[in-house]
Amino acid sequence: MPNFIERPRYLCSLGGAFMTLTALPETIAIVHAPAGCVGNITWTQNGGSGLQVGGYCGGMSVPSTNVQERDVIFGGNERLHEQIKNTLDVMDGKLFVVITGCVTELIGDDVRSEVSEFRQDGVAIVAAETGGFKGNSYDGYDIVMQALVKDYVKPHQTKRKGKVNILGIVPYMDVFWRGNLEGIRKLLAKLNLEVNTFFTPEDTLEGLENSASAELNIVISASYGLETAKTYEEIHEIPYVTTGLPVGPTATDRFLRNIAQALSLDLELVEKVIAEENRVYFSYIDTLVDCYNDLDLQKYAVVIGDANYAPALTEFLADDLGWLPELVVFTDQMKEGQEELFEGLLENLESGLKPQVIFETNTSQAIGHLNRLYPKTGSHKYVKTFSPAFVVGSSLDRELALALKAPHLTVSFPVANRAVLDRGYTGYRGGLRLAEDLLSVVVAGR
Amino acid sequence: MTYLDSKEPPKREQRLKACISYAGTVCGMAKKTKNCCLNDGERSFSQGSICLLLPALAMINSLPDNVTILHGAIGCGSCAHSQNANARSGGSVRWGQVKDALWLSTALNESDVIGGGEDKLEKAIIEADVLYRPATITVVAGCVPGIIGDDIDGVVEKIQSRISARLIPVHCEGFKTKIWATAYDAVYHGIGRKLLEEPETEKPLIYDEFEEEKEKVRRSKTVNLMNVSSMGRGDELELTRLLNALGLEVNIFPVFARPEEMYKVTQAALSVSTCPTHDDYFVNFLQEKFNIPYLLRHMPIGIENTSLWVKDIARFFGLEEQADKLLSEEIAELKAALEEFLPLFQGKTVFVGAGEFRALATARLLQELGFEIVGIRSYHHDEFAVGEYEKLAASSPKDFVLNIANVQPFEEANLLRKLQPDVFLGHWNGNGTAAKLGVATHVIYNTGLGYIGYSGVYELARRLARQLKNPIFNRKLKKHASLPYTQQWYDVDPFKYIKVQGDEVNA
Repeated sequence: MPNFIERPRYLCSLGGAFMTLTALPETIAIVHAPAGCVGNITWTQNGGSGLQVGGYCGGMSVPSTNVQERDVIFGGNERLHEQIKNTLDVMDGKLFVVITGCVTELIGDDVRSEVSEFRQDGVAIVAAETGGFKGNSYDGYDIVMQALVKDYVKPHQTKRKGKVNILGIVPYMDVFWRGNLEGIRKLLAKLNLEVNTFFTPEDTLEGLENSASAELNIVISASYGLETAKTYEEIHEIPYVTTGLPVGPTATDRFLRNIAQALSLDLELVEKVIAEENRVYFSYIDTLVDCYNDLDLQKYAVVIGDANYAPALTEFLADDLGWLPELVVFTDQMKEGQEELFEGLLENLESGLKPQVIFETNTSQAIGHLNRLYPKTGSHKYVKTFSPAFVVGSSLDRELALALKAPHLTVSFPVANRAVLDRGYTGYRGGLRLAEDLLSVVVAGR
Repeated sequence: MTYLDSKEPPKREQRLKACISYAGTVCGMAKKTKNCCLNDGERSFSQGSICLLLPALAMINSLPDNVTILHGAIGCGSCAHSQNANARSGGSVRWGQVKDALWLSTALNESDVIGGGEDKLEKAIIEADVLYRPATITVVAGCVPGIIGDDIDGVVEKIQSRISARLIPVHCEGFKTKIWATAYDAVYHGIGRKLLEEPETEKPLIYDEFEEEKEKVRRSKTVNLMNVSSMGRGDELELTRLLNALGLEVNIFPVFARPEEMYKVTQAALSVSTCPTHDDYFVNFLQEKFNIPYLLRHMPIGIENTSLWVKDIARFFGLEEQADKLLSEEIAELKAALEEFLPLFQGKTVFVGAGEFRALATARLLQELGFEIVGIRSYHHDEFAVGEYEKLAASSPKDFVLNIANVQPFEEANLLRKLQPDVFLGHWNGNGTAAKLGVATHVIYNTGLGYIGYSGVYELARRLARQLKNPIFNRKLKKHASLPYTQQWYDVDPFKYIKVQGDEVNA
């Protein structure tokens, strides 16, 4: 383990649980932690989530026990009990979820027994132990979703043919979460599937409650949401498949075929959908062709992102846009076996490119990796430079782009310099959106 | 023996009897005497707030050539993602250079929590010193080290001699104080203990008697202008302009202060606070240790308060006459410029919520523009603001509600539904409730906007006129967005959950 992480591109597990719950319809989170945790998470969203913060009961509206030194000494259970009781009077929600911070977990507050008292009275309330030292915000999503799957999702439901749940996109950490989930839903609807995405404005809390009737869980991630999928499998007997985030035609073709196979769908229908979607995609691309060539829009690229975006963006750049992503930086804290797994995701690019994949939580060091790939050698006259270049990453990678004199697009957390509402990059349409955003940056001064 | 001789500053609920829960009126508060602070209540229902770590980081992350090491779990201090915007724009307007703040986390995990995190911190400091070569490394403790017993001061002491950066420990264990204004003391404490020595590089190579004399004269007319992280460069320039007009020089400190120049704060003739709640700890220290007297009374927001603020400084230097002339010219010019906006503001009601001093001074400014104040929420209360309550009580034709609350938008929602003000001015992440209720809203601080001095009055008036000219964004929002409170909450007393001596008020 490294001794520090530079400008971590994630929060703690409490932060991830907080963002997950505040994105869930009709849900009230109750934070059992000192006062600053809610403010810290809210300010982080303010700065890192593409101007998205708050929601129905998010941001500074989230109930919190605000435990103090006295509670640390004498225990915080009494304060939590009082807080839950009064939350039920003041806050208007259908589901209440207690999540804990470092302090209340270290002092050993028994949150589960506190919550079970209210459950016995018929309150829809769940507890999840999300103390910040347990992991980062991606882990927090998994921890709180598992708690919901265990203690809120209705058991023993009859499976519905063609119904699927989507896991692996963490609200606000994937700043394009709503657009990405909608993109997936619209795509799978073309295969006549009923798609539960939990967090979009079209979802309801009943979607979560009844999610055990799904035939399959689709984890749109090689990393996030896997534990939740396993819990669904154990408790509700729902199998799962993992896919990457499908961005653009190449990845989306494969995604649809994988899902079709997992659900034994009519392959003819699937191929028909793929053909039609590609026809539409390329009829849009058609009108770009002249300028793509005239302006020499092919670029070298550095891709910096989390475990969802780093491979997805790289594949789109390499295999759809025809760019040369030479360096790919995964910014996650790696768990055992993940490095090999993520390297494997980029081994079989259709273009045959073999980008250098590195795992680096200190992203100011990315330039060092690039300098090793493109050492400044050779004569002054004939220099093989990393140019024309493009940096796709987070807003923290602007300094790298500046050093390379390259244009830059922010996609992965933190997204400080873009306003994001319903934009998403998944599917064929998402590929078009991403091409628009990348190329718009290049021609902005035209 | 000063507070700075200890490792940590005392918490403000002890040092100042500061509090966060109170329901009353502005006249009621004004009648309380300075030494009779409130017995703080508790809330039996509360929403999230902030802790001292957040404003402390807002100051620390502004320091150029500094690396912040947050000793805590991985999410602690992630608010830097939002403060980074200020570091970038603040650096840009001061030095023409856009640069990200640099903060690190020791990311304490489960095994660190059991085994202790001191080794990890020590290694992190050593590695950061080599990798980034900063002038200072600020070692900030979050809650976890406070509970598992990591001694950050011990680690710093042990390795300082091997480190080229100056190490500054800052204690921000959030559970230890409910008064987040303790943050200012915590940061000043670290700076005061570690950064006030004049670096050798700053000393002149050759002794020159004439230069020394010139320097003495310059110092005798130099004022320490204590800035706050919520004020931008434009506000600093406005105050500098006014003081320069009186022939005074200004040394701005501590936000965005360069570490190698911090010692200059020990050489001024006078320290002037722009926010008494922010500065008392440090200006007292400067007086005790360096014999620098201070002014800690007014916040220069609004016409009256700016004038009082300037006059106090002028009086200290015997420049009353010059000040009177300057102020009368300034005020005449400002009033002429404001004239076109005043009919729009006349009789409009306004509700204000923010850090105590800013909320009160801004309310006074709004009265000067013709608004009627119908409510104020101060994020905490301490003795420094007593004078501000007196000013407001004297200048308000009607008494109005006063709520001391560390954020707590549920109380605000209840109050706003009853009061239905025309305009609301709130803290960052604090305007959403009013906006969803359809009230015209404006942020009460933003470092890119002007609020302070005479130009701040004009700029704020201009922005409020803009908000009032088209408040349709919030009006439409009201139709379609909902607040997360039950109907029954709006039917009861907004202060139902403030407990006084063990009982809920009006329970």
